Amino acid sequence: MTVVEMQDLRKRYGKTVAADGMSLRVEDGEYMCILGPTGAGKTTALRMAAGLLDPDRGKVLFDGTDVTRVEPEYREAAMLSQVYSLFPHMDVNGNVMYGPRIKKWHPRESEDVAHNMLEMVHLHRRKDAMPNELSGGMQQRTALARALASGSKVLLLDEPLRALDARLRIELRREIRSLVKAMGITAIHVTHDQEEAMVIADRVAVLRKGRVEQVGTPREVFDNPLTPFVANFVGQSNFFIGKVVSSGEETVVENERGVTVRARPSPHPIGSEVAVAVKVGNTTLKLDEGFFLGRVERVLYEGVTIHVDVMAEGQRCSAKLPNRKFEEYSPGDEVTVGWPPSEAIVFALPPGGLQEELRLD
Amino acid sequence: MSLTKRIDDLSSRRGVRNGWFGFITIFFLSFIILPTVYVLIYGLADFQNLSDAVLGEPEVMSMIWGAVFTSFSLALLVTIIDLVIGLPMAWIMVRKDFRGKRLLDTLIDMPLAFPTAALGFSIGIFWGLPVDAPVPPGALGIVAEPYILIMLLHIIFTYPYMVRSLSAILEQIDQSYEEAGMTLGASRLTAARTITLPLFRAGLITGFILCFARSLSETGGTFIALITVGKADVFFTGPTLIAWLKQPDVGVADVEAVLAVVSIILIITAIVFLLIIKYVLGRVSVPFDKVWPRWERVLSRGTFPKAKDLLSFVFLFTIVIIPSFFIFAYLLVPAPGDMDWSGLVDALSYSFMVAGIVTAADIVLGVPLALYIARHRDKKLAQVVDSLVNVPLIVPTTALGFSLALFWTTQDLVTNLTVLVIFAHIAFTYPLVVRNVAGAVMEVDPSYEEAARTLGAKPFGTFRTVLLPIIRASVLAGAILAFTRSLGETGATVAVSAEANTMPVYIVNLINSGDFYLASIAAMVLIIVSFIFMLALRYLVRRDGGGY
Repeated sequence: MTVVEMQDLRKRYGKTVAADGMSLRVEDGEYMCILGPTGAGKTTALRMAAGLLDPDRGKVLFDGTDVTRVEPEYREAAMLSQVYSLFPHMDVNGNVMYGPRIKKWHPRESEDVAHNMLEMVHLHRRKDAMPNELSGGMQQRTALARALASGSKVLLLDEPLRALDARLRIELRREIRSLVKAMGITAIHVTHDQEEAMVIADRVAVLRKGRVEQVGTPREVFDNPLTPFVANFVGQSNFFIGKVVSSGEETVVENERGVTVRARPSPHPIGSEVAVAVKVGNTTLKLDEGFFLGRVERVLYEGVTIHVDVMAEGQRCSAKLPNRKFEEYSPGDEVTVGWPPSEAIVFALPPGGLQEELRLD
Repeated sequence: MSLTKRIDDLSSRRGVRNGWFGFITIFFLSFIILPTVYVLIYGLADFQNLSDAVLGEPEVMSMIWGAVFTSFSLALLVTIIDLVIGLPMAWIMVRKDFRGKRLLDTLIDMPLAFPTAALGFSIGIFWGLPVDAPVPPGALGIVAEPYILIMLLHIIFTYPYMVRSLSAILEQIDQSYEEAGMTLGASRLTAARTITLPLFRAGLITGFILCFARSLSETGGTFIALITVGKADVFFTGPTLIAWLKQPDVGVADVEAVLAVVSIILIITAIVFLLIIKYVLGRVSVPFDKVWPRWERVLSRGTFPKAKDLLSFVFLFTIVIIPSFFIFAYLLVPAPGDMDWSGLVDALSYSFMVAGIVTAADIVLGVPLALYIARHRDKKLAQVVDSLVNVPLIVPTTALGFSLALFWTTQDLVTNLTVLVIFAHIAFTYPLVVRNVAGAVMEVDPSYEEAARTLGAKPFGTFRTVLLPIIRASVLAGAILAFTRSLGETGATVAVSAEANTMPVYIVNLINSGDFYLASIAAMVLIIVSFIFMLALRYLVRRDGGGY
């Protein structure tokens, strides 16, 4: 129902820069996830959209109208926080009715809305319970119902699932998405959990150091990351540093010890320094087929997959393999590290060095 | 459009909000802080006059310095005694479980509920040697030295502060530290001394400052105790000197100038001394590292710990509880014939009216300031206001009363006596409300209010429907504190004018005229009223703590 736009938002707290030219457009009815490590400015972005925080510079637009200086209560953008913030002195029904009551809707209509919302989150039987009598999941559901019942056109979710246990998290994220979609509202959801972002969002915006690094569908940011940071943050990647020796249908990169690897075509000229990124899930460890040799350091059994750390070419790389391969590797084994060239992406070597680029803080 | 709706809408405007908080801050600075310290400005402006009339008079000056010195030495002595005897009691209250603990808890707080005026009277007749008046059976009458008498009095009303401050911190220190120390081979005493005590500093500082400031500034009880034993015109503490000078016909030339000098000295020394204490206590360290395993082991076993606990109880009862309640022994004394109750009724209703208006003003004007302090902690101005709030709590109330009356009467801004008394009472009760409410608001996660705002509630609506219900108990607690403090305050009232007819002043006048029986009845009424309010307060605080 509302297009939310952030234009070049800037905000600093003393010396810390929380937003450094943040721009993002969220389409009407879209479910957008803002994904980033701790301290990237995710919550700052959300609070500026809600009107709880004034940007130092830049604009927030709702449907093209500048709302940067509009108070939160006029924005119709309800916030759902990770601590739920259910009003402790009201029962579940009172909490859900809060929006309609404060907006002075007709009592009958308010009750209908609250009732429907509680049914949708399966809490109509607990409507007389006080917040402290509810489990974490129920509290989050109540908070969701409260936000949806307020008639808001935008839903802002600040790490809404953080405090819940893993199974409940998976169940609730499905529920949240389907409710939001059913009501057709625009949602901005902030999280540091890339798996959560991938499954819940229509599009993902990867945030780093107060700037949007890449926006795209989950598949786009996973398969076609624009920067080494995104490649590593959204699904871990291995990196190979070297110089381009030939380019064409495949890019060939050689490091200083003469080891060559192949990757996707790229525009980088021959002789330029590059980093080749491959997702750990696309990395293969075979006996004789691949690009370079390595020695297995440890093997972790993770359930469906196994995680193998290999020391190769002076650095550690990892691979995620199906669990049936568990028996095939043990520490000390020599393996050949490889990947399908179509899964390897070539980036120009970042000016500050690769380690600096990948840092999470 | 209803009024709340209109305020709701207005509160959505930033300008209105800023204006409102600006207004409250200006009110605070000009009605509370400025009058409280106005005498300092007055002293600077009129220095010549003061120095001619007072500073050049060695006799007057030696009386002033003597009184101030007495105040400080008393405060220090009392605080140290509180510390020595309060620590074992705090330990018992936190670490031991026994039948009657709740009762003991109430008993320790009791002196806080007693208006000091009533307390001073009770102590005077129990320990002291009242002149020419019938005392009830059981009065000891063994303390002739006023210094000792006042010390005994001050211990009573400062002791609860010390025990409370210490036990509050002790409760937060996990006993497992000490247990770990003991499994590593330390005796119980060694473990407590080397592990728990060093973690204690914050509680020590709070307790020390509360006790010291309270003893330094107390007027009513001290003055009444001194009148009761007939020593009010020969023995002075700083605050009682002001109270005495305010009495008619004291035979001192240039009373106003002397009062101004005493007030200035009291205000400056109180603030400076407390800053020093805060600084020093924050830095000294006791030699915790040294251990004497042999002796400490002996002291940790057998009869020593029991003797220590027993002594704490004996002290509580003989020094604190029995003398406080002794006034009720007057019920055993046959009433003298025809009694005039009308004075009592007048004084009581006057006190209630003052306290009522004061409390209402405190709430209406104090809650917004508390909100401002608690929710704008990142702003410089809020931080400054936050520390300024403590000033009226530190300044002795007599000095405050004198300074305030001076401020409002110099330009004939306010001449009505009742209005002046109300202003004075607001000045020293306002910080109680602000402190209480600000503390409560800081405990409330701002995300409640933010959630309400994003759901469509306007700032004032958010306050009404979300914040206020959550902090309601603390607001009420602040109101009750302010009400009882106003009801029992002698010093500030007397300093404004000795003719203001509040309950404590009425009691002072009765004792002055030798009517001990009626004075005791008035004191008992005051105690009972205050006690009822304290029970209500405890109920509220407890319910609040068990809530959300």
